[in-house]
Amino acid sequence: MAFSVRKKRPARVFFVALLAIILYFGLFPYPLGREIVARPVWSVTLPDPGALQPLNPPSTVPAPDSAKAIAAPFQLGDLFGYAAANGDILHAEKTLFRVALSQAGFVNYTRLGTNWILQNVRGARVLSFSGYGYPLLSSDGGRIFIVKADLSGLIELDRAGDVRWSRDFPAILTAVSVPGDYLLVGLLNGTLLLLNGRGSPVYEHVMGGSRLPVILGAAVSPDGSLAASVSGVAPQFLTVLRRQGTGLAEMAKEVLASDFRREVRMSFSPDSRYLLVEGEHAAGIFDPAAPRLAWLSLPGGLADVSFPGGGRLTAVAARDGTRVELRILRPFSSPILTETFTAQQLFLGTVEGDLLLGLDGRLLRIGLEAL
Amino acid sequence: MMRLLPILVSMSLVLPVLPLGALDWPVKDRILTGTFGEDRSDHFHLGIDLGGGEQEVRPVLGGELVFRYDEGDSYSSLPRGLGSFVVLHHSQDILSFYCHLQKGSLGPIQTAYSPSDRIGIIGDTGHSDGKHLHFALYDEEAGSWINPLSILPPLPDAQPPVIKRVLLSVGEQVQPLESGATVKAGHGEILAEAYDLREDVRFHWPLAPYSVRFSLDGKEVARILFDSLLAIDGKMVVGGTGLTRENVYRGEGLLRCGAVELRAGESRLHIAVRDFAGNETVRDIPFTVAE
Repeated sequence: MAFSVRKKRPARVFFVALLAIILYFGLFPYPLGREIVARPVWSVTLPDPGALQPLNPPSTVPAPDSAKAIAAPFQLGDLFGYAAANGDILHAEKTLFRVALSQAGFVNYTRLGTNWILQNVRGARVLSFSGYGYPLLSSDGGRIFIVKADLSGLIELDRAGDVRWSRDFPAILTAVSVPGDYLLVGLLNGTLLLLNGRGSPVYEHVMGGSRLPVILGAAVSPDGSLAASVSGVAPQFLTVLRRQGTGLAEMAKEVLASDFRREVRMSFSPDSRYLLVEGEHAAGIFDPAAPRLAWLSLPGGLADVSFPGGGRLTAVAARDGTRVELRILRPFSSPILTETFTAQQLFLGTVEGDLLLGLDGRLLRIGLEAL
Repeated sequence: MMRLLPILVSMSLVLPVLPLGALDWPVKDRILTGTFGEDRSDHFHLGIDLGGGEQEVRPVLGGELVFRYDEGDSYSSLPRGLGSFVVLHHSQDILSFYCHLQKGSLGPIQTAYSPSDRIGIIGDTGHSDGKHLHFALYDEEAGSWINPLSILPPLPDAQPPVIKRVLLSVGEQVQPLESGATVKAGHGEILAEAYDLREDVRFHWPLAPYSVRFSLDGKEVARILFDSLLAIDGKMVVGGTGLTRENVYRGEGLLRCGAVELRAGESRLHIAVRDFAGNETVRDIPFTVAE
């Protein structure tokens, strides 16, 4: 009898415990992320920049616009170009001095030149234009600007190469963000301006609260609904602004631990849901919907950023000398992939939602699939 | 005394801002190759250029680092024609700019600079056609660029500016305006090719003068004084005048002296061009205006 009692009690305890666990997970479910599988799709060796000289003159016949849809820009050291989704290199060229690179085309320019050619992703001539200073293209390639050589002003050109508007600023430009229709500029005196298509400010505000005012970073989201800046010295602030009418209204302001005295990297994800901002050996991810800011510690300075999966994933590369660490993560979760490389040159981009990784003369497309 | 008036006026504007004499030149060998307010094709020159080859660059005054950019090394969302540059903040919200520095010469980040610290080495990074230092001063409170020569210790200069030619522009026609000339009555614009030269630059290297005054028949038509430049309504203008670059320059080294109404009779044009050291060149041009 005593034997049978000893046998039944553990069974009851086990049953109750099991029920409690089931109830617990039923009442407080914890969403488990789906597995992400990184799968190499293709890898290509890029041409030696030295072998690309002398440059072929650009074709005068523009390539069809459909080429834009499949072309992913890349830049590795002084080599830049466009890769197709299947790994074909549509165009590769050595920079003359610098290149204004966009999704739709580029301007490869010399240090002191005043005549430039806008070429499409296959290297065909789109437009010739002139100016003094250096050219700048919007990320989508739809807008052409000239940054005055002394950083005192901006000029926008139309598609015929004529001046659409010109504007001088009260202090030098320190940061610019122009994904498409929206142009956000930051100045050395701490002023942040959102300019409309005629170059007139629709928002102008001096970012205060710091001992020294200065705009160190500026970003506007691709859909134009959000803007952000890193500003000031002692303390440094991250300010996120939301579109309100034609202007902007502050929605969040965070004190940062950083003490940058240079431009910092910051960009919104392509779906405009997240903002990535550079910290000191860290990357911050800000969710405007929450709103909340989380920091990811990095083993070096933030070297490049991209948003595979249309913004559902974030890829960050940190550099410490030639040691590069790549991390892929979902916003606000632990990295799901960490890889370390030794590389002098690094590039992160996207092609059809996959990660485009450039490392010392090689370009890799890495598919990121959720199981 | 009259020669010193513009300098005294500018000093009086600057004295309350920065302790004059406390500043030193940013380089040891001071070869002035560019002056404040020059026409730079699409903008006024907002500072001065100093040649003298590769030299160490030091702060004009102790200050704090606000912003720096090292060409080819720093991240940048825009192309920077200033090349590698450093901006320091000084007392009274004055910023000093040291531009076109040699790539990699900026050294590790330091936030505080004393006058004996090295900022970098003169280079030709960015939009530069030779090794030089572009040095500029900016008054954050006033939002204006200041002529550095008004604050830096005086630079000896005995060479007066040059008035090479004076022209009268009527419509599309441009004709020389010389003593004894006869011109037609009507509206016109006076143009002058006037520049400064320095004895320490051994080749012909025209610089913008510090001030230019024009008067017709004793009445002042225009006065340009390059003390400050500031952006108003999206346009950079000469401080105190509202004149844009297009109002001041007409290309080919020509200064616009202002629109005039020429009436029949005898007239006299007076042009006075001065450099920052106070050297002045004056030209009087008597001419006849015919019906």
